Amino acid sequence: MIKHLLTLFACAALLVMGGCTTTRIDQFRQAATGLKTDESIVILGRREKSNYETADTFVNCVASSVGAGHDGIKVIPEKEFLDALFPFFEPRTAPMRTANLKQLMDVEQARDRIKSYHIGYIVWVDGTTQRSGNTGGMTCSVGPSAAGCFGFGSWQDDSKFEAEVWDMTTLESVGSISTNANGQSYMPALIVPIPLIARVEASACSGLGNQLKQFIAGKSG
Amino acid sequence: MFRHLPALLLLLTLAGCATTTNIVIGGNYPVPLARKLPLAIGVYYPPQLRNHSYTEVADESEGKDKYVVQSGAAQVKLFNTVLPSMFKSVVMLDSPEQAATQAGIDAVLIPTLTDFQLGLPQKTRLKSYEIWLKYDIRLTKPGGERIADWAMTAYGKSPEEEKGVVTGIKSAGTVAMRDLAANFTLGFAKVPDVKDWLQSRQRP
Repeated sequence: MIKHLLTLFACAALLVMGGCTTTRIDQFRQAATGLKTDESIVILGRREKSNYETADTFVNCVASSVGAGHDGIKVIPEKEFLDALFPFFEPRTAPMRTANLKQLMDVEQARDRIKSYHIGYIVWVDGTTQRSGNTGGMTCSVGPSAAGCFGFGSWQDDSKFEAEVWDMTTLESVGSISTNANGQSYMPALIVPIPLIARVEASACSGLGNQLKQFIAGKSG
Repeated sequence: MFRHLPALLLLLTLAGCATTTNIVIGGNYPVPLARKLPLAIGVYYPPQLRNHSYTEVADESEGKDKYVVQSGAAQVKLFNTVLPSMFKSVVMLDSPEQAATQAGIDAVLIPTLTDFQLGLPQKTRLKSYEIWLKYDIRLTKPGGERIADWAMTAYGKSPEEEKGVVTGIKSAGTVAMRDLAANFTLGFAKVPDVKDWLQSRQRP
């Protein structure tokens, strides 16, 4: 009976708490965009900062989101591109501005390799998710015949990411999209801990991915 | 009453044990995009580089949890991937002196690892595993006369999140190796003494 009640409580709480993420997306367009049928894009994470680096899981998530659906765009996997263009897109050597990209395109080997991929746009994703506001507490005990936890914990996740889009024909920046998602997660425990996790990063990823898709196709803003 | 005693004793015994974890830096490294210099290079890897091993004690006060990081094979593998993409030909040498007896070698490259540092999140309070390497690179003529000496550093980090210590250190090591390759490939011809030597070879 208690088991059934707990399951019911968990399901109800998940339904109530499931929407605890707020996502805001801003777009800044500098030039018109559009992709030819044989062109693809590559989405790369910025990793030169000392205090954080853009997680490859997030970059892969955005790439999957951009590539999904009937209007999906062909995205070259980040690892494949980094290996193919090695050593020009490593954290130490990657072009930071479009002026550096123009210099890179003067290097014959790099230019030929980039052209072989028919890349229409390079998207640079920069950002991270930070956790704060850890509150509450939980106590767990294990005895010879039983084990259980009791307590309540909560925390806040804040995801801030920006995607800058470089046009590989004009070698100029054509705009940027930023996303800011935050949400509160809860972990009540009554014998069994029940995690009610706000999917903040996933929300930032799908928001950024969908907006990028429209931006590159030239459908928005 | 005493049925849990053996398990309790085992737990107490294990709690006092120091653990040593061997971590071998591996990884496959891509061939760099580089324009080959018309040089036949002899390369000598000192034993200190080939067999490099570094030990980090996670809890220095009690000498517990040692991490032994073996990176020698990865470094040799990396140089063996990078050098053939940069030079017309590469000859492996058993000693730097061997170059004098081998015809056709233009210069000898000797990379020496002088410093290796490992940053663990539990010590640095940062949310990443870090590896920092410092090399002294020497380029000599086949007879041993100096052409250039320069220092080179490489750095790699890997986020702590959801990765164990072994995966985190391996991943940071792989990133550091890629950084080393990038630094060496793009920096070699810009080293002032190397640049002068290359220009002197082009003069009639």
